[in-house]
Amino acid sequence: MGAPEKSENFKQRAHDALADPNLKTAIERTTGTAETKRAAAIGAFPEFQAARVRGAAIKDHVIANLDHYLIEFERNATEAGAHVHWARDAKEAAAIVTRICTEAEAKIVTRAKSMLGEEIGLPHALEDAGIERVETDLAEHIIQLAHERPSHIIWPAMHRTREDVAELFFKDHQPPPDADDPASMVASARRVLREKFMAADVGISGANFLVADTGATCTVTNEGNAELSTTPPRIHIVTAGIEKLVPSTDHAMALLRLLVRSATGGEVTQYTTFHCGPKRVGDADGPEEMHIVLVDNGRSRMVGDEFRQMLRCIRCGACMNHCVVYRQIGGHAYGGTYPGPMGAVLTPVLDGLAASRDLPHACTLNGRCEEVCPVRIPLKTLLKAWRVRSWDSQQEVGAVRMGLGIWGFAARRPRLYHFGTRLALPVMRLFGKGGWIRKMPLAGGWTETRDLPKPAARSFMSQHAKYGNGGPK
Amino acid sequence: MSARDDIIAAVREGLKRGQGGALPRRAPAEIRAEAAALLAGLDEIRPSLVTPDPVEAFIQKCANPALGVTLDRVAGWAALPQAVTGYLDRHELPHRLAVSGDPRLSALGPGIETHAPCAPDEAAAISIASWGVAETGSVVIHSAPDQPILNAMLPRHWLVVVEAAKILPFLDDYATFASLRPRNAVLITGSSGTTDIEGYFVRGAHGPGFVHVLLIG
Amino acid sequence: MSKPKIGLFVTCLVDAMRPQIGWATLKLLEQAGCEVEVPRAQTCCGQPAGNSGDKRGAAALAQQVIETFEGYDYLVGPSGSCVGQIRSYPTLFSDPGWRKRAEDLAAKSFEILGFLHDVMSWQPEGVGLNASVTYHDSCSGLRELGIEAQPRALLEAVEGLEMRPLNGANVCCGFGGTFCVKYPEISTAIISEKTANIAATGADILLAGDLGCLMNMAGRLHREGAATRCFHTAEVLAGMADGPAIGEDA
Repeated sequence: MGAPEKSENFKQRAHDALADPNLKTAIERTTGTAETKRAAAIGAFPEFQAARVRGAAIKDHVIANLDHYLIEFERNATEAGAHVHWARDAKEAAAIVTRICTEAEAKIVTRAKSMLGEEIGLPHALEDAGIERVETDLAEHIIQLAHERPSHIIWPAMHRTREDVAELFFKDHQPPPDADDPASMVASARRVLREKFMAADVGISGANFLVADTGATCTVTNEGNAELSTTPPRIHIVTAGIEKLVPSTDHAMALLRLLVRSATGGEVTQYTTFHCGPKRVGDADGPEEMHIVLVDNGRSRMVGDEFRQMLRCIRCGACMNHCVVYRQIGGHAYGGTYPGPMGAVLTPVLDGLAASRDLPHACTLNGRCEEVCPVRIPLKTLLKAWRVRSWDSQQEVGAVRMGLGIWGFAARRPRLYHFGTRLALPVMRLFGKGGWIRKMPLAGGWTETRDLPKPAARSFMSQHAKYGNGGPK
Repeated sequence: MSARDDIIAAVREGLKRGQGGALPRRAPAEIRAEAAALLAGLDEIRPSLVTPDPVEAFIQKCANPALGVTLDRVAGWAALPQAVTGYLDRHELPHRLAVSGDPRLSALGPGIETHAPCAPDEAAAISIASWGVAETGSVVIHSAPDQPILNAMLPRHWLVVVEAAKILPFLDDYATFASLRPRNAVLITGSSGTTDIEGYFVRGAHGPGFVHVLLIG
Repeated sequence: MSKPKIGLFVTCLVDAMRPQIGWATLKLLEQAGCEVEVPRAQTCCGQPAGNSGDKRGAAALAQQVIETFEGYDYLVGPSGSCVGQIRSYPTLFSDPGWRKRAEDLAAKSFEILGFLHDVMSWQPEGVGLNASVTYHDSCSGLRELGIEAQPRALLEAVEGLEMRPLNGANVCCGFGGTFCVKYPEISTAIISEKTANIAATGADILLAGDLGCLMNMAGRLHREGAATRCFHTAEVLAGMADGPAIGEDA
């Protein structure tokens, strides 16, 4: 389980996903509801467009001054008593976390869902270190039992139906759930996980924001599992990407309004928590140590290249909820840590373009993702930028290069092009029956599942050359 | 070089490349001013309150069924014990509460047994919130010797007292108190919930399934 | 006021697959009081190259389009995606001279329905069609050019037309240019949802503003045995929807 699947077999995985009858239903339930709820939330927030312009500007400002904010955050977090660690890549980050756990002789570690944790392979690393890892987010708990990876950044188990969940819980939970309705199953998970929360030695969370001027990290959850993961254990570890910085709590609030509406359609999450250092003298509860691991893993490179705007991303999941491709194939088909449009931009950064070349291409460029993006990331432009890199580095399939080459050669010579069209159209028409072509050489990608209208006998340009503006009649 | 130095150097290198070769060294004050300017005209980028009066807006927000909150207006601190027993009775709960250690809660009155700390399977606990936020119907607690965070997380029923005078209009108004730099600041908006199983909303995922706000004044 | 001089950008798909859309566009522009020319030196806007990452190939075609059309008051074409591509030409050039020429052309390039409604303030008169129709918002037109209200407003003036709302009208049909043949299985799954929504309207006719999307929807509808007929919106507005629809034999 868990090991990042490589994205090389995208087409095969997409094929398998499309063949799974339950998957489509499961995806549609979650993304459909998310789409409806987001629309209602945005409808009730007339200032949304202005807010997202400002949200994008806040993130751009942070990235343009990232060195400054990293140092300011480090200083303030350290002053509050937290230990700040730096990790150049995924391996280094996972090693820092496991080292802290082993040095603390941790037996049980609770984790509150964090995509960064997935990105750095933390689940795997902890298991390799022989540490019992307890996923506390309900969806993460489900996929831990199923030995799977998240298929969505907000609803990691959205590909699992209620029946799947019941099967997993009845097999694992002691005592088993009272019944297989969602409420009984949630109650059962609460029972099972409650013991783990209280027994854990270390709690690991991610961060939605790193607040530079206070040194606090911020997590948002609806279940309350982050607070229960980070308060009882002796040690709290935060892993966060370096792009998560915000200048102040005020800036975090401005982004929070965008994040929650875009993710779940709520106004705020049930729990929005700022963690600033370890337990203080006399505090009633809280961890004795707090560690913050700041992870680069390709981000500093993005600061300087055409993917910089991707660092605005606040991980709301709206792009995938509104993506026609994601809604057909789900998250696992993408193969990387992050699925959907944002994943198709990020996975080539993290896993390399050679291993993920399909992702930026498997997109219709319809632009709905960037239309809903709360920080106005030009996702379509960024996906096209990967296509340029793929083309320039000769990674395009030979047939595609050749086809486009021939077509481009002709298109740049209008007389040749119009002459060619005049010859080609009658040939194409030979394959037609009635007005339609059901099958034609080289057109299988189209005609396998749809008919192709028979082309005109004479092109417009040829008709116009003959008849002028008055036309053929 | 250390990972820290490497990362900061790489970020600066990236900024340089992104800005055509030169890294503009800017004074921290200039950066701060630019950051502050990004929050000018907050009314343009935040929703307006459902009604102009913050206390009234807070009450209306809490009435939103999606939040899973109930609210009682309590005339004053003296009337608190009666409001608490009223709630416990309505839910057929014993008159027994985990309290936060705040002296204002130790004298909840005869007939209500109080104790600390909150047990993992506590039926009900009570805390005093430092503020409420009208924009969202949130309450805010800051960790402290007399403010255990777990009291808000462990019980099935969480009762939270907030004074009407402490209702702030917007999230931004709360943010100004972040300079107090509490170890833990938790903004709580409704009861714990999850939609992780087929999108069905279920209350009481890990935290309280019932949140009851006692609004004083 | 003198008549605006239009260079009609036919688009390569319309040229080869359905010239009637070109004739409809030409007719509408003349009705709206424009002087229309069809430059011979046009072929394609370069979208296939641009969307495949071949920036140089796209730039070469962009130069050809710029040279051919920059002398007109406006470039107008019956496709949101081609005009969207032309509007994006400035991003293809780092050379300031070409960039400026690209920007100038981008600023005066319009999709036909947006042009008729927004620039010419034109409304059809005396056009009728007794049919129920539903309308799909082609993505490029909708999101790159803001073509949403204009076709609906223009269609309102067509007598006898009964407009039926399409569930998910603003959701992509799965065409996506080369996407539909590079990832045919995913494309088919997407278009099948679209055709189900179209069928659910019970409309006689499906309209859209981009031939690529129309061919995809029409081709899938026909394969599924649906009777829905497909036209470009311009054909209806020009009173040219009385003949064969897309894929129907003349």
